[in-house]
Amino acid sequence: MTNTLGLRRAALAGATVAALIGAGACSGFFDVPNTNQPNLEDLTKNPTRTKLAGAASGLFAGARTDIQGFIWRVGSLGREGINLSGNNQPDYLEPYFLSTLVGSGFGGALWGGRYAHIRNINIYLTALDKVSTAQVSDAEKAASRAAANTLKALAFMYVIETRDSLGAPVDVDVPITAPLGRFVGRDSVYGYIIGLLDSAQADLGRSGASFPFTIPSGFGSFNTPSTFLEVNRALAAKAQVLRATAAACGVPCYTAALGALSGSFISSRPADFATGVYFNFSTGSNDVTNGLSDPLGSVNFYAHPSEAADAQLQAGGAKDQRVLDKITAATDTQVVGGISEIPGTDKFTVYFTGGQADPSHAIPIIRDEELVLLRAEANWFAGGKLQALADIDSVRVGAGKLTPTTVTIASPDSAFVKELLYNRRYSLMWEQGTRWIDARRYNRMGDVPATPPTGGHVARVMPIPDNECAARGLLVNCTPLNP
Amino acid sequence: MVQRTSFVALALVALGAAGASGQERQITGRVTSATNGEAIAGVNVSVTGAAFAAITNADGRYTISAPSGAATLVFRRIAFKRREVSVPAGQNVADAALEADVFNLEAVVVTGQATGVERRNAAIAATNVSGQEVSAVPAPAVDRALAGRVPGAIISQNSGAPGGGTQIQIRGNNTVIGSPDPVFVVDGVIYSDASLPTGLYSVTQSGANRGSGPTQDDPVNRLADLNPNDIESIEVLRGAAASSIYGSKAANGVVIIRTNRGKAGKPQASITQRMGFFELERGPATRVFSLTDTFPYTSATIASYMVAGQLPFYDHLQEIAGERPLSYETNLNVSGGAENTRYYLSGGVIHDPGIVLNTFNNRQTLRANLDQTLSGRLSLSVNTQFTRNQTDKGFTNNDNNGASVTYAIAYIPSFVNILPAGGTYPKPVLTYKGSNPLQSAALGTNDEVVNRFTGGATLTFQAVQTERHNLRLVGAGGIDLFDQRAEVISPPELYYEARLANPGTSTLANGHSRQWNWNVNAIHTYAPSSAAFKATASAGVQVEDRELETSRATAHGLLPGQSNIDLGAVFGDPFEFNQTERTLAFYAQEELLTLRERLLLSAGVRAERSSVFGDINKYYAFPKASASYRFPGLLGEGSELKLRGAYGETGNQPLFGQKFTTLSSTVIDNTVGTVITGTAGAPDIKPERVKELEAGFDATLWNGRATVEVTGYTRHTHDLLLLATPAPSTGYGQRIINGGVFWNEGIEIGAGLTPIQRKDLTWVFRTSFTSLKNRVQSLPVPDVCLPPGPAAPVCGFTPPNAGFGKAYGQFFIQQGRPITQIIGTDTVAGTCATTCQNYDRYLGQANPRFRWSFVNDVSYKRLAFSMLWDWQYGGVEQNQTLSLYDCNGLAPDQATPAGRARYDSCNLWSVAAPFVQSTTFLKLREASLSADLPERWANWIGARTARITVTGRNLLLFTDYFGYDPEESNFGQQAVTRNIDLGPYPPMRSFFFSITAGF
Repeated sequence: MTNTLGLRRAALAGATVAALIGAGACSGFFDVPNTNQPNLEDLTKNPTRTKLAGAASGLFAGARTDIQGFIWRVGSLGREGINLSGNNQPDYLEPYFLSTLVGSGFGGALWGGRYAHIRNINIYLTALDKVSTAQVSDAEKAASRAAANTLKALAFMYVIETRDSLGAPVDVDVPITAPLGRFVGRDSVYGYIIGLLDSAQADLGRSGASFPFTIPSGFGSFNTPSTFLEVNRALAAKAQVLRATAAACGVPCYTAALGALSGSFISSRPADFATGVYFNFSTGSNDVTNGLSDPLGSVNFYAHPSEAADAQLQAGGAKDQRVLDKITAATDTQVVGGISEIPGTDKFTVYFTGGQADPSHAIPIIRDEELVLLRAEANWFAGGKLQALADIDSVRVGAGKLTPTTVTIASPDSAFVKELLYNRRYSLMWEQGTRWIDARRYNRMGDVPATPPTGGHVARVMPIPDNECAARGLLVNCTPLNP
Repeated sequence: MVQRTSFVALALVALGAAGASGQERQITGRVTSATNGEAIAGVNVSVTGAAFAAITNADGRYTISAPSGAATLVFRRIAFKRREVSVPAGQNVADAALEADVFNLEAVVVTGQATGVERRNAAIAATNVSGQEVSAVPAPAVDRALAGRVPGAIISQNSGAPGGGTQIQIRGNNTVIGSPDPVFVVDGVIYSDASLPTGLYSVTQSGANRGSGPTQDDPVNRLADLNPNDIESIEVLRGAAASSIYGSKAANGVVIIRTNRGKAGKPQASITQRMGFFELERGPATRVFSLTDTFPYTSATIASYMVAGQLPFYDHLQEIAGERPLSYETNLNVSGGAENTRYYLSGGVIHDPGIVLNTFNNRQTLRANLDQTLSGRLSLSVNTQFTRNQTDKGFTNNDNNGASVTYAIAYIPSFVNILPAGGTYPKPVLTYKGSNPLQSAALGTNDEVVNRFTGGATLTFQAVQTERHNLRLVGAGGIDLFDQRAEVISPPELYYEARLANPGTSTLANGHSRQWNWNVNAIHTYAPSSAAFKATASAGVQVEDRELETSRATAHGLLPGQSNIDLGAVFGDPFEFNQTERTLAFYAQEELLTLRERLLLSAGVRAERSSVFGDINKYYAFPKASASYRFPGLLGEGSELKLRGAYGETGNQPLFGQKFTTLSSTVIDNTVGTVITGTAGAPDIKPERVKELEAGFDATLWNGRATVEVTGYTRHTHDLLLLATPAPSTGYGQRIINGGVFWNEGIEIGAGLTPIQRKDLTWVFRTSFTSLKNRVQSLPVPDVCLPPGPAAPVCGFTPPNAGFGKAYGQFFIQQGRPITQIIGTDTVAGTCATTCQNYDRYLGQANPRFRWSFVNDVSYKRLAFSMLWDWQYGGVEQNQTLSLYDCNGLAPDQATPAGRARYDSCNLWSVAAPFVQSTTFLKLREASLSADLPERWANWIGARTARITVTGRNLLLFTDYFGYDPEESNFGQQAVTRNIDLGPYPPMRSFFFSITAGF
């Protein structure tokens, strides 16, 4: 037996030697990288200035994701327009007719894409934290962090505008294997947004003269830390105003909004109304085009008939100049699915250039005209009613070519709100779903036509997507705040 | 490989051990065939209870050392039954006559990289198919020729296209998104069976560039590059205990192919010339219209097609797939050698034109196998193969652009003429996207060329050789390289191209595959002087490296008459993907044969690390254990019963890239940036793990004239690779995870009978039976639980390539349900008078109740006749070819109420049930009739022997299935989502006449 064991030992020793040759000869042999695409881990573990610049460019591209869907989907809910493209019935049937939106299809949209963008921002922030100061200086890091947090705040703003009272999770910077971030209420989400913007403001104060990456041209001259701060403050003002109506915050929020506005790029000159920051689109290779710039002869997006019908008249009898500028008759009218109540007869020209559809037309993020109206709203409720009315008139006259408002400081709040909402509706038409969001803010959902004449239904919020409910062990159309 | 090494080793032993001990004697003798008395070379001669062995030379003679007392010699050789001869002390001559082994009872069953056991002892189910069985009736590829010959394997053709495209499923469905393919090992070299798309989808627009498009190109799986005529035997390792010798990628079984080798002796040559043709086997009939028909065309429309007062009738299927061009094949092989050098050389040429115009397969193969004895202890064998394989499959399968000819004819009513007149193709009005499929077939190109080299070598060193001990060291390795270049050209003058913004499409696709593997083994056999047992211990290491690079690019708006991709107006769909998998394995096992060679106990383990695992430093262990016991003579004289049982674990590796979370590129304002993709990788990913218990018995009766092998197994696949749907607030749409359990359980029966065995007449009958059931035992919750409605969540998900929506039927992986279930929309009875209320229901499962095949070989004097029938019962297929005809109102019975109901199912109600059809069929897969010509006739052409053969494949098919063949698979090789039929290349029947001359 000894002999046997000896031989076996010899055999196994031989095999072991061979094995060691095999194993030893290949240090790193098994560490096969993925050369097909950049690896996320490479960005977070070995960040460099260049990689971060690419990721930052991705943040601006990511911020743009879903903006078109946001405009037409929320615009459909608020009866600004309708998507009659082709045979995709859910796109017009669901926002107009479903008594309860469902968390798949139309109702489940404007969620996952936004959170993918938020994940992107969090990954960027992780990598930024890790990069050496030799690559990116502390001042540049502060600038970068400020830009990322400002975009993150903007992303959460888009989320909560659609889900409103259902709330949303904000603690999502956790590994995918970790428990899901819990839902928090609307006011907390706005608080979170304001916190992000304020921390970005502080970071911008510590920033140098420039960002360590290229900011898209849609940001115009707001592409240095000092000018970017004006955008940050504009968004902070918007968040404060939205929070004010959404919760019991009231006057303090409006006061904070006014403070933020003073640091923003606000100007009340009509010539400056278009000043602001925009998302770029283009027909370039791998870029995204502006699909909302729909040619008059195409059959995709139409303006709701009420938009033209509800317009006030200028002194000469012509419609509100904003309607004349933004809506025109379609050359190819459309009645889809036999729903004669929602004919496609009017087209938006919001994104036209020189009277023609322009797939490279930018889409505004926030601009001066909105800031003026935000100031009007904040001033009215914070006590500066005269200033409020002056700003309303600045827009009424400057953009709508209408006569000054009949509302006075003695008028009830309801009269002012009606005037405010009219101007916000036409000034921001087909830009950010304002009509629906404002109707909900001021509890005036009845002002939004269900659909003329009968049978329609206007949803108050978009539901939580089915997959989100399922992953939380909840049934469809869940309310995670009150499961 | 194992057989070869053992031959060589044993030969060495004989040489090396001669005169080693004074206690021994020499026995000599001659081995002949019991049938014709001819000498048999290459017979293994061994002494029971001792480690001596020898091998017979070209004259059948051998010399072996033996103990001085009484001994028992055992004579074994492939294709012959083993024979034991008692040699009393003092007798030094022992001759033996061996009988033919028609049921391969004497094969050696692989138990490791360099070990094997005799089949009579094997504790695992193993199937051994001889090369003669797979090459007798020409098949496009080896795998298709295995159909009906391997219990436990369901082998289906993806389409009828020339050049192959076949899937093998062994022991059920063991994965969803992992690889569905078995491991193929040719002479010790791991042989790539990759299926690389040609880029046809860029023309048919069947799916996205990085999505389902390429999978719908009906690619050839590259096993097609082997020449079936070179194959000596194929061993199929089905169970986990058997296949675990390939560890983490053997969950779908292992197919070990050995090619022919030279034998010492006078050179022998054989030449085979085949000629024949293919024809349409089966296809959808089309509707014959009359002027009274009202749908889908008005009577007025139909009447407008009248010619000379008659409504014409054209059978478009015959027009596109009615070719019967001449096909031919030539094979030549030469083998021979001296004692120390043996060779096998072969060359083969095939030209198989298809039944669709301009489709074909041309394959040229060269093989050189060499066995060299270097010294008394060292031997080397080398195998090389070169293949050039060119295929043009034309434009078929799913389509969204009008290119696929089989798709387009489902849109063209029979009264529309599409035949060319004076070189001009009519532009049909009633068609799909402007297509004239005859023009598409005439002008389109979907061509791929593969150049492939496979080479391997085995070096065997006989380290120790005594009466009690035998220690061998075996090193083996090889490389498998191929380049594939494909070109899809859809010229601008094609009518469907002309409607596009940039007519004319050209796609260039390249693939480079590079695989190598080597292993080093030590095998020690110990036989104590008491002869109480024989123990074989082996250990080794194996390294595998597999690299595959694929790239494609497409140009649209081609210059007329041009095809280069730089001659287009718009460049699109660029694609490049490179993947590498590297694996290192250590393994060890012990086999103990005892109780007069009746009991075999075996246990082993293989530990692997791989670059595709999340933790590249971690070893995953795959253990196995098995036992068998023989009862000789239990069932009468010359009978034997063996009971066996085995437990084993094996795996399926994650696919390259599944562990990575990657970034994709994006552009804003002319600046490129990175964003996350929607899929979260699994940094901790591990292999899927199959745990299987199998048990069975093998019985041999009637002196080997009857044999039966019954195996039952139950296998659970754990840690499935899954695409889970996380909460979208995580930022990801999909997440790769390990989780869930699949369960497969089945029974496999292989049986053979020789009812007549006379000098002039023999009749051999074989049958194999396969049946399994399976279920999704668990799925991770809640990650992949999708709520279909307000009821409790249904835990399940739609696998990739599941079909075309529930209105047509689709696969759905659901906890507690059969893995391959197909669900679809149905309507609540009675609701369709107003508005249909729809619900989803189970429509069947792809997995059939059973597959049962029957082979009869009858030979009478010089004539031999063979038939293989294959019967599948149960199972369903998504017959989307039928849905095409039905949706367009062109099925032959469309004017009847039943036909009208199916038309409405598609167009009004979205009801799927009519389009999910049973796959029950009975098929005469193969038949052949051959005659050995008298020797004097052979001598006229200078040959020693001559044989003529008439063969046919896919001769008869009995089924209720509509249209083509119920084996079709639109998405090609798939784990679960097979059984989708959507305008495939029509199935072909073949007839060949061949003549073989031996020199």
